[in-house]
Amino acid sequence: MAQKFEQLPEELQLATSAHVKYIQSLDTRKDEYGYWLTEHLRLNGLYWGLTALHLLGHPDALPRNETIDFVLSCQHDSGGFGAAPGHDAHMLSTVSAVQILATVDALDELDTRGKGRLQVGKFIANLQNSETGTFAGDEWGEEDTRFLYGAFNALSLLGLLHLIDVDKAVDHIAACANFDGGYGVSPGAESHAGQIFTCVAALTIAGRQDLINKERLGRWLSERQVAGGGLNGRPEKKEDVCYSWWVLSSLEMIGKTHWIDRDRLAAFILRCQDTENGGISDRPGDMVDVWHTVFGIAGLSLLKYPGLEAVDEVYCMPKAVTARVLGH
Amino acid sequence: MADQGSYSQHGIARTSRVRTEEQRQRDLDHITRYRDLEDQVRERIKRSDYSPETFRLTSALLKLNPEYYTIWNARRRCLISSSFSKRPSGSLPSKASSTTSPTATTAGSSTESSSAPLAATPPNLASPTAGMSGTTAEETTQYDSSDAESEAADLAIIQSELTFTIPLLLESPKCYWIWSYRLWILEQAISRLPAARARGVWEDELRLASRMLDKDRRNFHAWGYRRHVVAQLESPALNGKSMVEAEFAYTTAMIRKDLSNFSAWHSRARLIPRLLDERGADDEARRKFLDAELNQTREALNVGPEDQSLWYYHQYLILNIVRPSQYPAMAPHFSTTDRIAYLERELDEIRSLLEDYDDVQLVYEALFEYTLFLYHLQNG
Ligand SMILES: [Zn+2]
Repeated sequence: MAQKFEQLPEELQLATSAHVKYIQSLDTRKDEYGYWLTEHLRLNGLYWGLTALHLLGHPDALPRNETIDFVLSCQHDSGGFGAAPGHDAHMLSTVSAVQILATVDALDELDTRGKGRLQVGKFIANLQNSETGTFAGDEWGEEDTRFLYGAFNALSLLGLLHLIDVDKAVDHIAACANFDGGYGVSPGAESHAGQIFTCVAALTIAGRQDLINKERLGRWLSERQVAGGGLNGRPEKKEDVCYSWWVLSSLEMIGKTHWIDRDRLAAFILRCQDTENGGISDRPGDMVDVWHTVFGIAGLSLLKYPGLEAVDEVYCMPKAVTARVLGH
Repeated sequence: MADQGSYSQHGIARTSRVRTEEQRQRDLDHITRYRDLEDQVRERIKRSDYSPETFRLTSALLKLNPEYYTIWNARRRCLISSSFSKRPSGSLPSKASSTTSPTATTAGSSTESSSAPLAATPPNLASPTAGMSGTTAEETTQYDSSDAESEAADLAIIQSELTFTIPLLLESPKCYWIWSYRLWILEQAISRLPAARARGVWEDELRLASRMLDKDRRNFHAWGYRRHVVAQLESPALNGKSMVEAEFAYTTAMIRKDLSNFSAWHSRARLIPRLLDERGADDEARRKFLDAELNQTREALNVGPEDQSLWYYHQYLILNIVRPSQYPAMAPHFSTTDRIAYLERELDEIRSLLEDYDDVQLVYEALFEYTLFLYHLQNG
């Protein structure tokens, strides 16, 4: 495969140094209105940028100490993390916080300088619905399989999965399965690539892949590939780099990435780069952002693009990190 | 739509990132105004001031940035602590995981913002349009503690809040936090109003869900939202009864408008088992139903054989034929001979599609899968 990538034309080479510079520049845009309007995504954004840098082989491109300080500054007494200081605690930012600290090998800081590992675990565990097994994003109660996956992701990294009722959560995922093999946001909802990723990854963490209809799901997922090589998130939708990642990583988890044309997918992702200024967009020619940048690079990593660190398809983190933290 | 800027955006054409000095200055002006407003709100949140004035400030800030979930939360706390008349236990968050629990802060705000009587309706909330402008605050507070009046006041707040979110939703139809806030408001209707009143609020919401789907027939949030609203309208809490016939008819109408609508086909597939049970359909009625669905899908496939939505639905129908233990809705008691006959007929029909469309991959995939099914049926 490496051979084929080298034969790609110049404009389809990975613009590694431009991407590194782009990610480094993200926190220097305080004179842009958009920077302030997106503060509710700051911790998530840090996770996306940091993960992309690690996969690009530049783990030190963001200062480690400042990263840890910022993460800890977002924590509440409840143990949960907000998106930035002054923002309410939420599952999504709490998961990002745990992922960031795991990536920079600083989970211990939760005990030495934060509110304690266990307190983080309790914040997450408290969001489980004891009746249905699913999870809310925060105290206001909105439920979504995204939050269930987030809980499994963070709690397994913290070694605290025993704080929740895993079997009940697994039952809930099973109830979200559809006849096409996919999963929706809640029981009855249509299959959607993002939700499939969360459900399949949660089942993988729980060791319950036996519940997945791999043949039917693999077929639905592989039918997401469109003529341009990219993958869409639902039938009759346009291709998109972020959906490409969710479909590809789900296929990887069930051992079926060979059901799509991997080379054409890699070429699609590479065409979405801004090779000059760095970053990757949803589709060729669109504005780049860090969200599509990390999912594009993670996709290329899963496709074994040469020079990239291996990505863990379940956690969307460097494999070396999850291996260290999970003790595999 | 709120600018998600460098974090996440879809379908925005790439342009030069270099701003003119004028654009930069305009950005700086926006930033100053935005951060000034943000500072005011956050300073109030910090001292647990959930008064009507804080509420008014959240309106202004959320119009600039509807993605700001912390501000939606503050708005909820404002309503709980200084606007809603009654406080049913079910309306408060059940988890004590927040740093500032609304119950705890209620006491704080009642002492600190003495100008806002705890149980009174803030005047700027009582007017149905107030949430939209968010600036007028006439001093017309005259509170009577009778149930009917406090219910009317709560209803006015609920309607004002629903009105407030509409322009934000139209601008950012995929903003998760607006939908989430709206649902919370609707839940307040259930816990604070008599069932008949609350039902009216939720019925209006179903009309809104339809309007959103008219604008974007595949809006994933809107379909999920519709399912949720219907489930509530069917529940005992709203004196509900089954709406499965009406919802099934809705999917028919949506499919007529646009065959290529996987969301509608999916909804249809999920409704059928309950529909047939509630009709008390016997085996013959179920068979007729299956025949009608097969005919309709076949006709659609004749027009659009490259349409994945149609094929997924067709697969669902076929699963009813070949996997009755998992999909028992339409052909629960067919004999094996029946199943083989149905499958052979579908295979014939699909083969005939090849006369007009010999280069459509989905046709071959269906032939391949269904032939395997046929083989297994024929060989036990
Ligand atoms: Zn995307």
